[in-house]
Amino acid sequence: MIQIKDLSHYFELGKKGDKTTIPVLHDVSLSIHQKEIVTIVGKSGSGKSTLLNLIGGFMRPSKGHVWINQKEVTKLNEADFADFRLNHIGFIFQNFQLIPSMTAYQNVELPLILKGIDEVKRAEITRETLERVGLLNYHTHYPSELSGGQQQRVSIARALVLNPPIILADEPTGSLDSETEADLLGFIQQLNQELGITFLIITHDEEVASIGNRVIEIRDGRIMEGSVSQ
Amino acid sequence: MRMKDQFRFVKQNMKKNKMRVFMTVLATAMGCAFLIVIASVPFGLHQTFVKDILQQDTINEISVQGIEKGDKYQPITEKDIKDLRKFDNVKSVTFQSYIEQTTTFSIDNYQLDTGAMAVDFKAEQDVGIPLKDGTFPSEKNEVLVGYHFATQLFPSDEKQNEKLYNEKGELKEAYQYKKEIIGQTFSMTITRMNEDGAEETKDIPVTIAGIIEKPTREWMMDTEVRISESLLHEIEQYTKTPNGQLTVPVDNQLQDKDNNYSNVTVHSYSLEQVQTLTEKLEEKHYLVYSAASSLSQLNMMFTIAKAGLIFIGTIAILIASIGIYNTMTMAVTERAPDIGIMKAIGANPKVIKRIFSLESSFIGLLGAAIGTIIAYLISLFVNFVVPLVIEAAFQEELPEGFKFSAIPVTLVIIAVVICLVVTVISGSRPAKKATKIDILKAMRREI
Repeated sequence: MIQIKDLSHYFELGKKGDKTTIPVLHDVSLSIHQKEIVTIVGKSGSGKSTLLNLIGGFMRPSKGHVWINQKEVTKLNEADFADFRLNHIGFIFQNFQLIPSMTAYQNVELPLILKGIDEVKRAEITRETLERVGLLNYHTHYPSELSGGQQQRVSIARALVLNPPIILADEPTGSLDSETEADLLGFIQQLNQELGITFLIITHDEEVASIGNRVIEIRDGRIMEGSVSQ
Repeated sequence: MRMKDQFRFVKQNMKKNKMRVFMTVLATAMGCAFLIVIASVPFGLHQTFVKDILQQDTINEISVQGIEKGDKYQPITEKDIKDLRKFDNVKSVTFQSYIEQTTTFSIDNYQLDTGAMAVDFKAEQDVGIPLKDGTFPSEKNEVLVGYHFATQLFPSDEKQNEKLYNEKGELKEAYQYKKEIIGQTFSMTITRMNEDGAEETKDIPVTIAGIIEKPTREWMMDTEVRISESLLHEIEQYTKTPNGQLTVPVDNQLQDKDNNYSNVTVHSYSLEQVQTLTEKLEEKHYLVYSAASSLSQLNMMFTIAKAGLIFIGTIAILIASIGIYNTMTMAVTERAPDIGIMKAIGANPKVIKRIFSLESSFIGLLGAAIGTIIAYLISLFVNFVVPLVIEAAFQEELPEGFKFSAIPVTLVIIAVVICLVVTVISGSRPAKKATKIDILKAMRREI
C-alpha cells in the first residue's frame, strides 16, 4: 500500500553562501500493507511528523521515493499530488483543521465539492458519513459549537467521506481528554475492521500506539532496529 | 469542482467582509462611471454634428467650385457640366446661375424683392428636389419659388410701413398675401442700365408652377425664385450684360460670355460613392468639396477624441484596481488557513486560483454594472442641465436634439471590457499568491 525507500529530508537554514543543513530524516525505508494500522512513535523532533508530511505531499523530500498504491507520489507535481490526495488519502490532524466559517455538514461536504460530485449525491453521502460518526444531529453546528471529540469526529468524517484507502493521522488524540481519546481509538479500529482502511498514525502517546498492528519508533530521523510488531 | 460551487464559494467569501467588498465595488463603479461619462461627451457631440450634417440633405452631393486650367482655377463652363455628367455614379449635375440684380415679383398690388436664379429644371427633378406643392416647370416662363415666397409678399402701398414686420423680422399675418400662388402669373421686374447710366425696367410675366419644400434648417428662409435658362437668356438680351448685371453694357460682352455656372453640384446615387467620386474629380483637377468628406474628417477627429478620453477614463479604473488588488491580497491573507486546509484535503491549486480570480472578476463586473447605471443617470442629467445652463449663461439657443453626452452600447461594452480586464489583472497576483500558500504554515496559522 505505502512503500518508502531511502527517504531523507533536511532543512536548510541561513542565507546563500552561509547555509546550515539540518538533517531530519535519514534513509528511511518502510512498507505499510493494506488494512494495517501502523503507529509511528518518537519524541518531539524525532522526524515522525516530517515523515507523515512527506508521505502526504505537504513537503518535498530531499532524497528518496514514496509509492502509494504503486504510484510514485514523490514524482508528482503539486497539482497532481493534490488530485491524488483527494482521491486516495484522508487526513486527520491534531488540531482538527476544520474551516471555522463552515458548519459540520459543510466541512464534511468539502472534499465532495472539490471532487465535483453533484449536489443530490453529495447530500446523501455527507449525511451518511455524519451518521456514521454519530454527528448527524450536529450538522448545522459550527466547529466552535462542538466539543473537541465532536470536532475530531467531524474531521474523521471529512477524511472518510470519499472512501480513501489510506488515512494519515497526525497526533489524532493530541487535543482530547483520555475518555474521548479511548472512544476515538475504538472508532479508528472499527473503521479499520469494517472498511479495511489503512491507518498510519503519528503519536507520542503509548495508548494510541498500542492500537497499531505495528509500532515503529523513530529516533533522530532513523527507524530504530527492532521496532515492535504486534 | 463544479462552476456552480465555485460561484457559491465566491458568494460566501464576499459575504465575509461585506464593507470592504462594497467599498471596492464602489471604487470600481466610480472609475467605470468616470470612463463612460468622460467618453460620452465626444460620443454625444459627434452624434449631434453628424446628425446636423446628415440633415442638410447634401450628404450625397459634391460641390464643384472650379477647375484647374494651367496654373489657375477657372469657373465651370457648359462643357465642364457635360464632362461632369459623364463620370460614373453621377446621378445628376445641378447648377445655379444667379441674376445679378434684385428682381421684383408683383401681383395684385403685392410684391416681393428677392433673388432669382436660373436652374436646369430637369436636373433638379432628377435629383428629387422636393416640392411642397405644384409641379416642375415645363414652359420657358414657368418658375419655382421658395417655401417662404408667399408669406413674404407684402402690399406695395405699405412698402414704407415700419409695422409690416414683427420683432422677429417676419411679415405680420395681416399683411400677408392670402391667395393660392400656384398657377398665378406674376410680373418679374428687371432693371437695365443704358449706355448713359440711366435705369429702365421691363416686366416679364412668370407663372408659378411649384413651391419648393421647407428648408431642413428651422432658421433658414427661402424666398428665391428659380427660372429657366431660356428666361435668363431673355433677361441677358434685355440688360445686354451677363447674368443681368446692373452695369453699363460693354460691346460684345454677351457674345464673349462663356456661360459660367455657379453652385455647380454633382449628385451621386449614394453616400458610399461620394468618396470615390470626389477622388476621381480631384484627379481631373476639379476643385471640389463634399459634406461627406467633412463628415469623414469629423469622424476621424472624434475617433481620436474618443480614444483619448477612453484612455484618460482607463486611468480612473487603474486607480480603482489598486483597491481591488488590496482587497484581494487582504482576502488571501485572511483566508490563508482555510486555503491551507483546502489544499491539504486535495484542492487543486488551479481551483483555488479560479475562486479568487472569479471573486475579483465579480467585483469588477458588479462595479462596471453599477458604474454604467450611474453613468447613464449622469448623462441624462447633463443632457437636461447643460442646454439650460448654456442658454441661461450665453443667451444662445442650442439646436434641437443637441446632445452633450451620449452613451452608445459600444461605449458600455468598451468600458465593461476595460473594467473586467483591469480587475482580472489586478486580482491575478493575489490569486496566484493563494495557490503558493504553504499548507503546513497555513495550518499552523503562520501566514
